[in-house]
Amino acid sequence: MPRILNLVFRLPVALASLALFLLMAMTFADVILRSAFNAPIEAATELTRLLMALIVFSALPMISFQGHHIAVDLLDGLFARFRLERARDVAISLMCGGMLFWPANRMIDLAERARSYGDQTEYLNIPTYYIGWFIAISAFVTAAALILRGGALALGRDPEQMVRHD
Amino acid sequence: MTESLIGFAAVLVLVLLRMPIAFAMGLVGMVGYMIETSYRGAISMVGRLIIDTSQDYGLSVVPLFVLMGLLVNKSGISRELYQVSNAFLGHLRGGLAMATVVACGGFAAICGSSLATAATMSKVAMPEMRKYGYADSLSTASIAAGGTLGILIPPSVILVIYGLLTETSIGKLFIAGIVPGIMGILFYLLAVRFTVARNPDAGPAGPRTDWAGRITALKGVWAVLLLFGLVIGGLYGALDFWPLHLAFSPTEAAGMGAAGAFLIALARGSLSFAALREVLSETATTTASLFSVLIGAWVFSNFVNIAGLPEALQGGVTSMGLSPWMVMAMIVLIYVVLGCVFESLSMLLLTVPIFFPLVTGLGFDPVWFGIIVVVVTEISLITPPVGLNVFILKGVVGDVSTGTIFRGVTPFWVVDILRLLLLLAIPGLVLFLPSFL
Amino acid sequence: AETKVTVSTWLPPTHPINTQMLQGLIDMMGEATGGEITGELKHGLAPPPAQMDLVMDGAADMTIIFHGYQPGRFVGTKLIEIPGYEGNAEAASVAYWRVHEAHLAQLNEHRGVKLVALNTHGPGQIHSNKTVESLADLQGLKTRLGGGVSADVGAELGLIGIQVPAPKVYETLSSGAADAVAMNIGERTGFKLNEVAKNVYEMPGGFYRGSFAVLMSQEKFDSLPADVQKALDDNVFGEPASRMMGAVWDSHDAKARAATEATPDNRIVTASAEDQAAFAEMATRIQAKILAELAEAGVDAEAARAMVIQDMAAN
Ligand code: NA
Ligand code: NA
Repeated sequence: MPRILNLVFRLPVALASLALFLLMAMTFADVILRSAFNAPIEAATELTRLLMALIVFSALPMISFQGHHIAVDLLDGLFARFRLERARDVAISLMCGGMLFWPANRMIDLAERARSYGDQTEYLNIPTYYIGWFIAISAFVTAAALILRGGALALGRDPEQMVRHD
Repeated sequence: MTESLIGFAAVLVLVLLRMPIAFAMGLVGMVGYMIETSYRGAISMVGRLIIDTSQDYGLSVVPLFVLMGLLVNKSGISRELYQVSNAFLGHLRGGLAMATVVACGGFAAICGSSLATAATMSKVAMPEMRKYGYADSLSTASIAAGGTLGILIPPSVILVIYGLLTETSIGKLFIAGIVPGIMGILFYLLAVRFTVARNPDAGPAGPRTDWAGRITALKGVWAVLLLFGLVIGGLYGALDFWPLHLAFSPTEAAGMGAAGAFLIALARGSLSFAALREVLSETATTTASLFSVLIGAWVFSNFVNIAGLPEALQGGVTSMGLSPWMVMAMIVLIYVVLGCVFESLSMLLLTVPIFFPLVTGLGFDPVWFGIIVVVVTEISLITPPVGLNVFILKGVVGDVSTGTIFRGVTPFWVVDILRLLLLLAIPGLVLFLPSFL
Repeated sequence: AETKVTVSTWLPPTHPINTQMLQGLIDMMGEATGGEITGELKHGLAPPPAQMDLVMDGAADMTIIFHGYQPGRFVGTKLIEIPGYEGNAEAASVAYWRVHEAHLAQLNEHRGVKLVALNTHGPGQIHSNKTVESLADLQGLKTRLGGGVSADVGAELGLIGIQVPAPKVYETLSSGAADAVAMNIGERTGFKLNEVAKNVYEMPGGFYRGSFAVLMSQEKFDSLPADVQKALDDNVFGEPASRMMGAVWDSHDAKARAATEATPDNRIVTASAEDQAAFAEMATRIQAKILAELAEAGVDAEAARAMVIQDMAAN
């Protein structure tokens, strides 16, 4: 199990890191090429878009599983006093995972629609449904990650500890 | 109007139940939009926003500025900044706290986030202040308050997002933040003085550094100046070294800043492969959580938009005959109240789409309003009960209660309100510099 | 019963597409149906390329799209964007609708939604910081181009394409990250080009044009009573709406031209006779390329282009 979790969550984060580094390097190169040689990377804008989607949706399953979304802990003391913390966290995780299912499903339809219309990027002519499918799949994995988190919390496991950090 | 208010209440309840803010806003927005239009319409809208927001070219500044801040942090620049400030101010009573405030301001000039500024400076300044017997209340408060400058002094992720939401020039917003940011530093110095005047034991004077030592320490600042100059200079197209004319869009400025920080860290030998990996994956995960909030907020704002809230507000203001300044006073008050509970980005995303059309319709300047929003957001970061900067301090320092920090923060909070009133009364303080662009 | 139509828009609130075209369309619909149809603009629901999906799925009832923002999806609509047509936006928009009926509709590129109107903005020109007095001066100019045919034109002119979203044009030009922008002259007001692009290099008939469509949710249209549908189809949708929008583009252009002429440090340079001839040659190459794309999609491209020219001349 831990090995699978590592593969599903950490590998994409490595991919996101790589995409981020490429984004930085490409932006730098684009500015220098444009300023010094009047020869910008014409596809820089669409590559930026692509890399951004890679960054966000590769990292999303991991932060969802580990509960690193921005949240407010104002009433934590209150919940702790009534020993409702775990029940609350399980319920919230399952709800969040559940609500993602419908948009994720819809995104498959949207990607397929883009395919049927022949949508592509302007310079490199990359079909946009590739990225649509990637985002949709990542949304499904995120939904599954949240439900898994709910399950782990219900069993008294700490999702934070279930994936290695190094 | 009623639907929107119910929506707000629902978001608030879910957020207090500790549902992540992104999901709370997304869920309520999706269900609300469904009620206003149709099931298929709402789900498709959400799906498209997820696809499009993650590929928004303008938003690529967010990961790049976050990356720049983290790389700078790794290269030890934050420590050097503190040493310089200390060399000049440390011998005064409360001087180490003053040095902390100034170093925070300097770090803010290369870091786009308040939380990162506070977290970084707490690691550097806290041990030093403890060593010289500073009261925990003063030392933590000076970092928590000084850290808020991260989003006002450019670069600023919050100003970027305000600019993208409202189609206001990010360049103008950045330069408009400089004067209020410097005011913030000066006012915080006053707050430190006030604290040590009341309780001299809170901040004893440290050792004096001679001029030779000060000059030596100054050498540590070049990297900060270089990066700040690169980012801000490039944004204005002011870097004209024939034949190289450097002019950047905000995204490019962020990319150049990050690449510059990377090269500096590399040149100093302070960046191992493992450290780079850590910085990259931290930036990626931060980006993903920020984007989730952005998407959730957009979904929610679409719901109140389709439910007619902007029109209702506009109509309400007209029918009640409120003067523009009364409206502005109410908006600022709402921000201060919301700031008690909400975290900076969510607060901005929740409110700006609603207030912005109203405010500009009344003739207020969009750049000025952006700075006002950021200043009230800064204040929210140190306002109890939820002051994220205070929590950051608590997290890093550990053995100090949030009560102590909030108590120490009070004078800083008071000067913040003073500064806010000044900026409200004299818009020229904000608009003077950008008027030259 | 009164029906309210939600019109989604992504343009700045003060843009004439909002204040005159879409609002004008709402007024026309109200008038034609005796007040049965009312409408409301909704700003910023989604970015431009998402608009067609929003309307297709009923998240909004109507919208306007710029075809060039969805590369790959629209080929037929490039017909109106190619350089070489003489005449104003009204004539071009009317001709566009007619040629669509005759030749382009069969491509069914707007499938899934009801096509309400087509239009094109006035002739696209080059607005720059630097002085441009001839075609040669355009070489190597870093220029923000829209999508669609303008990109092909830019390549032919030797421009270096810079991609920035329209709202960022002002700061891109003012910082010097771009030297120029390609737009119809009317956009000078909204984007404050009189401050940051003081030079207009004008090609009679334009370097290119830009194709827009107004779309309506098919479901929404089908839900309307038959008499309302008929009133809309007969008196509003199609040629009347397209003509109205083209006329708005023209008055927008005229106003901005007057403002530019009244600004002391602004200059409009019209291409010399030689440069016009030189560009006409380039235009032939662009025409050939685009017409080949259309032909491949299954349109009688030459006949379609001839029809536009003839129609515009007759208008
Ligand atoms: Na900053
Ligand atoms: Na607060």
